[in-house]
Amino acid sequence: MSENLLVGRKPRRGVTAFIWQLGIYGTYFAQFVKSRLAYRMDFVIDTLAVSFSIVIQMAVLTTLFSKVRSLDGWSFPEVLFIYGFSLVPLGLFNLISVNLYGFSEKYIIQGKLDRVLLRPVGTLTQVLCESFSVSGINEILLGIGVMIYAGRELGLPLGIQQVLGLAVLAPSAALVYSGVFLAITSVTFWFEDRMGLAPPVYNLIRFSRYPITIYSLPVRLFLTFALPFAWVAFYPATWFLGSPGFARVALLTPLVGIVVFSGAVLIWKRGIKRYSSTGS
Amino acid sequence: MAPLIHVRDLTRDYRLIKKREGVAGGFVDLLRPRYRDLRAVDSVCFDIEAGEMVGYIGANGAGKSTTIKMLTGILTPTSGKVSVGGLVPWRDRLQYTRHIGVVFGQRTQLWWDLAVIESFRLLRKIYEVPENIYAEQMKVFDDLLGVGEFLHQPVRKLSLGQRMRCDLAAALLHRPRILFLDEPTIGLDVVAKESVRGFLREIRDLQGVTVILTTHDLGDIEQLCRRVIIIDKGEVHFDGELEDLRTRLGRRVRLTVDLREAVTADDLRKVTADLPVTWRDREGKNHVAEFRRAEVSGAEVIRQVVNDCQVSDLHLAEVDIEEIVRDIYRAAGKEKA
Repeated sequence: MSENLLVGRKPRRGVTAFIWQLGIYGTYFAQFVKSRLAYRMDFVIDTLAVSFSIVIQMAVLTTLFSKVRSLDGWSFPEVLFIYGFSLVPLGLFNLISVNLYGFSEKYIIQGKLDRVLLRPVGTLTQVLCESFSVSGINEILLGIGVMIYAGRELGLPLGIQQVLGLAVLAPSAALVYSGVFLAITSVTFWFEDRMGLAPPVYNLIRFSRYPITIYSLPVRLFLTFALPFAWVAFYPATWFLGSPGFARVALLTPLVGIVVFSGAVLIWKRGIKRYSSTGS
Repeated sequence: MAPLIHVRDLTRDYRLIKKREGVAGGFVDLLRPRYRDLRAVDSVCFDIEAGEMVGYIGANGAGKSTTIKMLTGILTPTSGKVSVGGLVPWRDRLQYTRHIGVVFGQRTQLWWDLAVIESFRLLRKIYEVPENIYAEQMKVFDDLLGVGEFLHQPVRKLSLGQRMRCDLAAALLHRPRILFLDEPTIGLDVVAKESVRGFLREIRDLQGVTVILTTHDLGDIEQLCRRVIIIDKGEVHFDGELEDLRTRLGRRVRLTVDLREAVTADDLRKVTADLPVTWRDREGKNHVAEFRRAEVSGAEVIRQVVNDCQVSDLHLAEVDIEEIVRDIYRAAGKEKA
């Protein structure tokens, strides 16, 4: 009998690997939904909490626009539309990436990452799969609601083109979010992240919900190139609004999403390598 | 035929920051850390054949877990070689994990909120276990571990014993060639321990899985492993058959004596002056002596004691493996000093 373990399945590469991992995601997600159904009250409370926070943010916008007619030329329904759009990628991001919060505590300090390394599925897939946040679903649904409402106020068309646009732009913007937070999380492989970089950066998301033209040039450049939060809401939303100049920039969103996320994945992979070579 | 697991000069250093004192020191540490290398595993060598059940034992901090982490591919060694059936665990990790099962006694591998059966289904998908093998394995687990009883309960509601049984089943679901167990009976009661040990024996016989286990509980070793590897301060101190370990240290025997009158240990030393017996320093009616079977027979020692003293009770017992291991550590400590 041969003792060669090399006989057997070769690791998947490229597209097959990707499709297989998507299948794994699906299985994990189904399990998550099942385990959540056991806590139906949780879902109701979460829906109420998310709705409440969205109502408050909309109240802020309404108050703001009762004082001013427009914000640097952007009308209330336009700003509302951008806000509505911002919730969709945020929801997608929150849905899959809750585990990035407290990653250092849960996976590195408590040692859960060891278990992840023992399974024949990519580390990032497993970490992202192991927990989903229901709030994400609520944010997506409410965001679409706000977009439809604001869009109607603006007399924007609503057809198959818009649906497809959302289907491409929202996931792309979600990749930007995920990339930024994945990169921040990966830093914990090198430095013990006791201060927690993620919450302050998360707070900066707020800036991304307004038309960036209201900010000074350095802030605009910062949000476009350094911490690319302009791509999570404003730029892609302008595609729907048909804003002159920006609507074309919006088409770069998928590219930005892929670049940012791939960069973050590279940092993550180096982090995993470092973890297994330092053991901490 | 090459051995299944081949380990040569496996070494692992940890780099620790030497902490300075005080708040100011903390800042200095941040800017200019001073490092100290700690060798957790030092030039470890061994070969393990397919189907062996090996106990890897050592005190806390001896280097057991670090070795296991390297053998399972979680940790990259500082230097040295490991080859398991032609694969290098840390280099070929994704492929390698399909052939191994790992159980950490202290941490569950299962999903806390999911029913046990759902965890198994998820693992089936992750490891791509064919339907017929899955069904066979589940039947074995139910027959031998009785997991059927609590398949539909969430993992968090299981008792520790039930959880450990599920963890074992989960680690073996994809029918791995090698099973690593880190403290598999820790915290379990006697019945649960027996159940785990019985299962491990059966699964080895049934599926020929190679088992490497670390433990503090020498009962596990005595009942499961023919071969033991003892590690201390990162170095291997013994690698061989459990039986050899016993004889090498000369089957020690302990005699406990209850006397009718209080005496000192010195009094008893005079009684057995011509025999190779060590009495513990004690005073009173209860005394303990140790000797080696190879050097003197129990009957000889007892005869002398009974002849010269008023004995009310006697108890003769073989020194257990735990103390033998402790002796090995002590000897190793002296060598180094």
